[in-house]
Amino acid sequence: MRDVLRIEDLVLKFRGYTGVTEVLHGISLNIRAGERVALVGESGSGKSVTARIVLGQLQELRSAQVQGGLYFEEQDLNRLSRRQWHALRGTHMSMIFQDPTSSLNPVFTIGVQFTEVLRRRDPKLSKEAAAKRAGELLNSVSIHDHARVLNAYPFQLSGGMNQRVAIAMALANHPSLLIADEPGTALDVTVQAQTLHLMHDLVERTGTAVLFISHNLGVVREFADRIYVIYRGRIVEQGPTQAVFENPRHAYTRALMAAVPRITGGGVPEIQDMDGAFFDPLEVHGEDRP
Amino acid sequence: MTPVLRLLARRLGISLIVLVGVSMLIFGIARVIPGDPARIALGPNATAEQVDALRESLHLNEAIPVQYGYFVKDLLRGDLGTSLYTNRPVTQDIAQFLPATLELVLFAGILMVGIGLPLGIWSARYRGRWPDHVIRLVSLLGVSAPSFVWAVILMLLFAFFLPIFPIAGRISDIYEIERVTGFLLIDTLLAGNLAAFRDAFWHIVLPAFALAVSGIGQAARLTRANMVETYDKPYIEMAQAYGFRARRIARKYAFKPSLIPSLTIIGLDFAAMLGNAFLVEAVFAWPGLSRYGVAVILRKDLNAIIGTVLIISATFLIVNLIVDLLIAFLNPRIRYSQRGSS
Repeated sequence: MRDVLRIEDLVLKFRGYTGVTEVLHGISLNIRAGERVALVGESGSGKSVTARIVLGQLQELRSAQVQGGLYFEEQDLNRLSRRQWHALRGTHMSMIFQDPTSSLNPVFTIGVQFTEVLRRRDPKLSKEAAAKRAGELLNSVSIHDHARVLNAYPFQLSGGMNQRVAIAMALANHPSLLIADEPGTALDVTVQAQTLHLMHDLVERTGTAVLFISHNLGVVREFADRIYVIYRGRIVEQGPTQAVFENPRHAYTRALMAAVPRITGGGVPEIQDMDGAFFDPLEVHGEDRP
Repeated sequence: MTPVLRLLARRLGISLIVLVGVSMLIFGIARVIPGDPARIALGPNATAEQVDALRESLHLNEAIPVQYGYFVKDLLRGDLGTSLYTNRPVTQDIAQFLPATLELVLFAGILMVGIGLPLGIWSARYRGRWPDHVIRLVSLLGVSAPSFVWAVILMLLFAFFLPIFPIAGRISDIYEIERVTGFLLIDTLLAGNLAAFRDAFWHIVLPAFALAVSGIGQAARLTRANMVETYDKPYIEMAQAYGFRARRIARKYAFKPSLIPSLTIIGLDFAAMLGNAFLVEAVFAWPGLSRYGVAVILRKDLNAIIGTVLIISATFLIVNLIVDLLIAFLNPRIRYSQRGSS
């Protein structure tokens, strides 16, 4: 099966006042069409910057230096002009953010923002046609009073409602890759679970590949086909979700899995900041492909 | 009642209270400052009886609260009294001089918004690059000097050394324009006299620009600061991730949320221009309310002083009211909030 996204030996450095800091030390990953892949790690491990690099947003920062291969739908992204790359955003690849309410513009109605997103694919789309299309899309995320929602401002809707809107927007233009950066982390747990189920069903139906970025192993276990564990800018373990969960081989993965709060007490679990074993080489679980 | 109407009613009520307060204050101050208005009006050769008679007719021998009562009684009939300086009703004097000042301030306000906001947007969009540095330097320069200093500098540069603009006045003497609105830019157009319009336009550019310079700088700096903050918000990141065009983000999706906090200050700046206009009018010999205001203050022309101050306060309050409504219009949170407070 072809890869929707392939990242090869990606290195990211930031130029700062104190010199150059390397943030990603050569990570490689691939996502096949329709596959849901999770990138798991602590905050600061380099999950989100990876997403920004795929979108080409980080490259626009003058302090960032990005090296490594990036292939999207068999095109070499590094060879695209800035304009061509820009044209992929919102059409062939889209994104869902952590907090749905703050990622929607507070002073424009949902309808206005939805129209803008739909016009990314079809610039000449009329207002009426956009509203109709948006209504259909909202239907697919179980929002049935379209008119009210499209005329509402984000602050008038609940977080869960905004998250549904965000999911509908993200899938509006039939992207082949959806990047979900800790989706719904800002929502309460039940609503997060609901919206994740919704998203799961939708991407399955539309065959959209997902790069799912998270620190929540429980969520990842339910959602992803395959996972990559990232620690300090390095991938330390990768493999099918079940295999990794049943038999975590890398010291860091084991520490990460142990760091789950338990109802029996014991306080907030902690991962030791430094452990020599965390820098062990990459563990790859057997896969059904070379 | 919709929240916007409620907001409007509330602001109107507050404005009225402010106006009453201002009228009391200025009424008291005008009477407490030294000098006998009757004596000044009649001159040194008038007899004591004549002065006394005038004082009597002006109710100057009564206690100040009683005098204020007479004033309010007249005011409710739309009568601000007679000016001792021009011997005409104060309302008539104001109607003659106010339009020139309003025209100047409005023109300056348009310059402030029309130049300041785009500069701010541009500056934020190119944050840290050369357009940003240039705009920040220029706007800092703008806010660093008061408008009358700019008036003198601009007059020297562009009317004296480089005689591009006329040096003073509102319009050249050769034009006779029928007075309809008192706004020359409008009256000349109503008269269909394009040459006169051009002439009036050239006359207003320098004083209006002098008046607007600090406002332009302020608006640009404020807009930039708010835009820079907005650019870090998740919804702008989302707009970028969805590939909205950078120009469209700058002009629409980042601009509107940034404009709301700037607008209050821009409104205050606009209102402050009414005060600064006094100095700029003096420099450019602009026949507005300032010349009248200064003359009547020096002559202790009580009715005229109060009338002038009241009209300026009212204009100030109207500007603030308009700004509040604009903000309510731009900010859905105010429009839809249950309590309608601002």
